[in-house]
Parts: sequence; structure tokens; C-alpha cells
Amino acid sequence: MSELSRRNLTWLCLLAIVFVVAPAFLAYFDQGYFYQLSTLALIFALLAASLHLVTGVSGLLHLGQAAFYGVGAYVAALLSINYEVPFSVGLPLAGLGAAAVAVLVALPTMRLVSIYFAVATLAIGQMIYLVLLNWVGLTEGPNGLVLSSGIEFFGYDVGARIGTYFVVAVIVLFSLWVIHRLTHSYYGNALRALREDDQCADAMGIDTVRLKVGIFAVSAFFAGIAGALWAYTTGYISPGDFNFANSILILAMVVVGGLGSLPGAVIGALLLILLPEALRGVGDFRNIMVGLTMFLVIVFVPKGLMGEVSALAFFRSRFASAWQGGGGGKVGWR
Amino acid sequence: MIDPYYLQQLVIGLSLGMTYALIAIGFTLIFGVLNVVNFAHSEIYTIGAFAGLVLITAFAPPLAIVLFIVLAVGAFAGFGLERLAFKPFRRFSDEASLKSRAMRESTLMSSLAMSIIVREALTLVFGSQFQQVPLASLINQPIAIGPITIVSGDIIIFSVAAVMLGGLQYLLKHTRIGLSIRAVSDNPTGAKYSGINTDRTIISTFALGSMMGAVAGILVGLYYGAIFPAMGFEPGIKAFVAMVMGGLVSIPGAVISALILGVSESMATTFVSSVWSGMVAYSFLILTLIFFPQGLFGGGRERV
Repeated sequence: MSELSRRNLTWLCLLAIVFVVAPAFLAYFDQGYFYQLSTLALIFALLAASLHLVTGVSGLLHLGQAAFYGVGAYVAALLSINYEVPFSVGLPLAGLGAAAVAVLVALPTMRLVSIYFAVATLAIGQMIYLVLLNWVGLTEGPNGLVLSSGIEFFGYDVGARIGTYFVVAVIVLFSLWVIHRLTHSYYGNALRALREDDQCADAMGIDTVRLKVGIFAVSAFFAGIAGALWAYTTGYISPGDFNFANSILILAMVVVGGLGSLPGAVIGALLLILLPEALRGVGDFRNIMVGLTMFLVIVFVPKGLMGEVSALAFFRSRFASAWQGGGGGKVGWR
Repeated sequence: MIDPYYLQQLVIGLSLGMTYALIAIGFTLIFGVLNVVNFAHSEIYTIGAFAGLVLITAFAPPLAIVLFIVLAVGAFAGFGLERLAFKPFRRFSDEASLKSRAMRESTLMSSLAMSIIVREALTLVFGSQFQQVPLASLINQPIAIGPITIVSGDIIIFSVAAVMLGGLQYLLKHTRIGLSIRAVSDNPTGAKYSGINTDRTIISTFALGSMMGAVAGILVGLYYGAIFPAMGFEPGIKAFVAMVMGGLVSIPGAVISALILGVSESMATTFVSSVWSGMVAYSFLILTLIFFPQGLFGGGRERV
């Protein structure tokens, strides 16, 4: 079998699982709980992928991703409630809103490195959370917001639960594909250079600050999209969904999956969402499981389940000609 | 004539700042020796509060004994934390790996993971709500001094913190263990070559810092009567802000910044509103990082 078709086969299997096997399973059991769980898993897969851009690929430890998730959710909810903006317009606007906030807060803090950057993002995340919690006039504070409209396209309401699942799945998969292409380009290579040694990258002519602000905004855009999906699918949001614990949960997903690997981030998200739910019968160990998994992975598998290096080796051995191909001094992915 | 009400707020702010200072010292000591941030430090504070609470509900001993036992618990917790979350990443003892970036980031995550585990374990055992603190052991008897009224807790926090800070200063400047802590934080390889047991020094630093944090936990818990598993998060961040403002490795800098932070917070509560006073610490942090990256009391360092 030629390797191109093998690659296509992997993609086909993935698509078949998301669009045929999972919906068949959902329709067979037909329980609201499973629908909620599957959309939650998809949304967190997107969140983990968005953090993967900043923390995994660019090597900037980001401790406030949940705040941008929250900004997206609140933008979508407020637009829907106050201006009756439909889903197809509200979704991109939510992403853009989160990205705009990200650029605004990133401009002063992006010159920081390592731990200072991490702490600055923690502070920014907490500030946004406090605003969501305390600006009662706009956000209703701790009471949260209730959305009037569900997901609809150009007047057509996909109100059925299976329809909602399909809409979320299409948007999440498309976003994941965009993130995949983004990281496997020259742009992605520049980001990796930033991660390996930012001073060296700077010396090679890469504008590190602009690159950091850019990737921070792109990551916030996808987090905002995830937030809007969360707001539209649940119909109710409150600041508690976007606190520090959620930032850490998203970070744990990326760490467990392996820093720098997109499949790893998605697998980490599925693992940390579905595993605690599967163990629900035993007791409420959800959060302690997150901590334990993270700790064990850091100590015993420091590269994560699919760390960058092992993932690179894997792809090189599988798609060796794609790696070497082209010639003419081209380095890296096409 | 200043309104006595503001004086009262000043006193509250100072005692708040003193507890931040006690926590910040733990951060500062550990950063000085290992160049890493210990995210689980705020859980040491919570452990201190819970240890004190269990002791008080079981035996109701006098406060001094509670404090001594909490000190011991804190030292033990610090020891355990170091063994579990920091030691595994110190496989090699050359300077490059002692202060390397990989070591810094993996210990950051492992201490974060430890902090989640401790907090959730406490939640599983005690429940996430506020714990019942016996009224008799709360330290909030009002004391009138002239026109203002303070509570006994202010005096207790102030005197305990002062004694501990004095003790720390003595320990660091006049004992062998303090000498070795200062040596390792100055230059780990050099310290090792001159025969200092760096491993033991690191453990004692953790124990020392955690003792301070644990005592702060029980003092604040008894002052407000609020002991719950997530109590360490906010003070932990504020102490961290104080440490960054103080220039990361300077103990006097951290203490002064913590006091500034405590007073500004209580003033913000008075003049603006209590819900927004949480913003003060975060704004201080961002402003410090942007305008005074070396910290207000400038400990020199390479790059921020």
C-alpha cells in the first residue's frame, strides 16, 4: 500500500469514528448524559489543541487559557441575548473577541520569559475571571447567563441533540485541521525555534515578540470558539466554568498527551474527560485523578504519551519521503 | 486628624501583609536555593491550617503548643514535598542540571500536580465547605487602644511573625545550616566542592520555608475562622506577587513588598469594594513585571 493512501486511511478511520461510530452509539443509547459528555470531550479537545499551540509548540507555559475560553463564551452569550446574533455570526465573533482581548493583554507581557511569563498569564487569567465574576451589570456575576437561542444556521434550527453533536464535531475537527496545518508549516517551524531557544531564534532574524503575540492571539481565537460552542450547547454559562482549576485541567491534558504533539493533546483531553466519568461509580475522584495522572506522567513518561520527539520519529519513519522530499535545500515539512 | 477607622484598616492590612510575608519567605528561600517556583507552597499553608484545626478539635491545647506542632507538621510536609516532587528531577548534581530550564519546568508542573492532589485529598476527607472552628480558639477578642479597636489576632500574628522573621535572620546569618543555605543559593557547584551536602541543604530549606507557610496557615485560619481546602490559593498567589516585587531572592524585599501589598489590599477594600480588592495583587504583579523586572528591591538576575 502506498504511503499516501495509508495516511488517507488514518484520516478516514478518524472521520468514521467521529461521524459514524460515535453518533450511532449516541443514537443507540439516546441519553442526554452521553450527548453532553461527547460534546464536552470535543470542546476540551479543541481547548487542549489551542493550548498546545502556545505551550506545546512555542514552549510558553500558559496558566490562564480558561479565561479566553470564558471570554469567547461570554461574547457569544451576550451577543445572542442582547442583539439576537445568530450562531453562524456569533461563533467567529466570539473567537475574534477572545483574540482581541489576548492581543491587548499580550502586548505588555510578551517580553517576559519562562516563569515570569507563566505567572503573568496566571495573573491575566485571574483578572479576566474576576471581571467576569464581579462586573454584575454586564455578566450577571455568579448567577451566570442563560442563552435564549440554540444552534441554528440561517434560520434552520438544528435543535435535535444529534444535530448539535454533528455541528460541534464538524467545527472542532475543522479547527483541529487548521491547527495541524498551522504547526506543520514554516510558521510552525519558527514557533519551534522559539521554543528551543528564543535568543537564538531572535538572532536568526525571527521577530520573537511579534510571533509570540500572534500565536497567543491564534490560540485565544480557538479557545474563544470552544467557549462559544460551550455556551451554545449548554445554554447556560457562569464564571465558575472558567476559573484557574480549568486552566490547569487544560494544561494537564497537554502535558499528559505530550508537549508539542497535536494527537497527544487530543488524546490527553479525551483521557482526562472520559476516564473520570468512567470511574464515576467508584466515587468523586475526578479532580484528584487529574492531579495524579499529571504527576505520574511527569515523573515516569516526561515526554508524555506522544511527546514531540517520539511523534517526530514516528512520522519520519512512516512518511520518510515526505520528510526528505522536495530537495533543493528545503528543510522541514512542506 | 485621621479617621480612626482608617487606622484600624491599616492595622488589619499590616497583619494581612505579615501573613503574606511568612508565605513569601518560603517561596524566596526555595527560589534562592533551587531557582524553581514551588507551586505546592500554598498547599503547605492549607496543611498547616488543617493540622492545627484537627489538633484543636481533638485536644484543645493552648495556642503556643498548637503553633509548635504546626511547625513540625510544616517541616515534615516540606520534606515530603521535596522528596516527591523535586528530588526525582535532580538526577544529576552538576550545575547545568541543578539550574536548568528543563528541571525548572518539570518541577513547576510536578509541584502543580502535587498541589492538586493535596487539595483534592483534603476535599475528599473534610469536604470542600468551611470547617467548624471552635469559637473559643478563634483569635478575635477585641482590644481597645485609644480610639481604635483591634483584635487579639492582630497582635498575635504580628508578634509570631516578628519572632519567626528574627529567628530566620539569626539562622541564616549565625548558624552552619544557614551558612550552607546561603552558600548553595550563591553557587551550588562551588558549595558542593567545598564539602557542603547540597541535598541535605535543599531539604532543610524546604523544611524551613514550609514551617513558615504552615504557621501562616493556622494563624489566618484562626483569625478569620475560615479553614477550607482551597484556602491556600489566593494567599499563595499574593505571596508570590510579593516575592516577585521583592526581587525573587531578597528576603527583606519580599517582607516589605508583602506589607505594602497587605496594606494596599485593605485600603482597596475600604475605598473601592471588597470584591475588586483581589485585582490589586494581580495589577501589582503585571506592573512590576513590566516596569521593574528586577523587582523593587533589585536582586540582580539575567533575564526576565
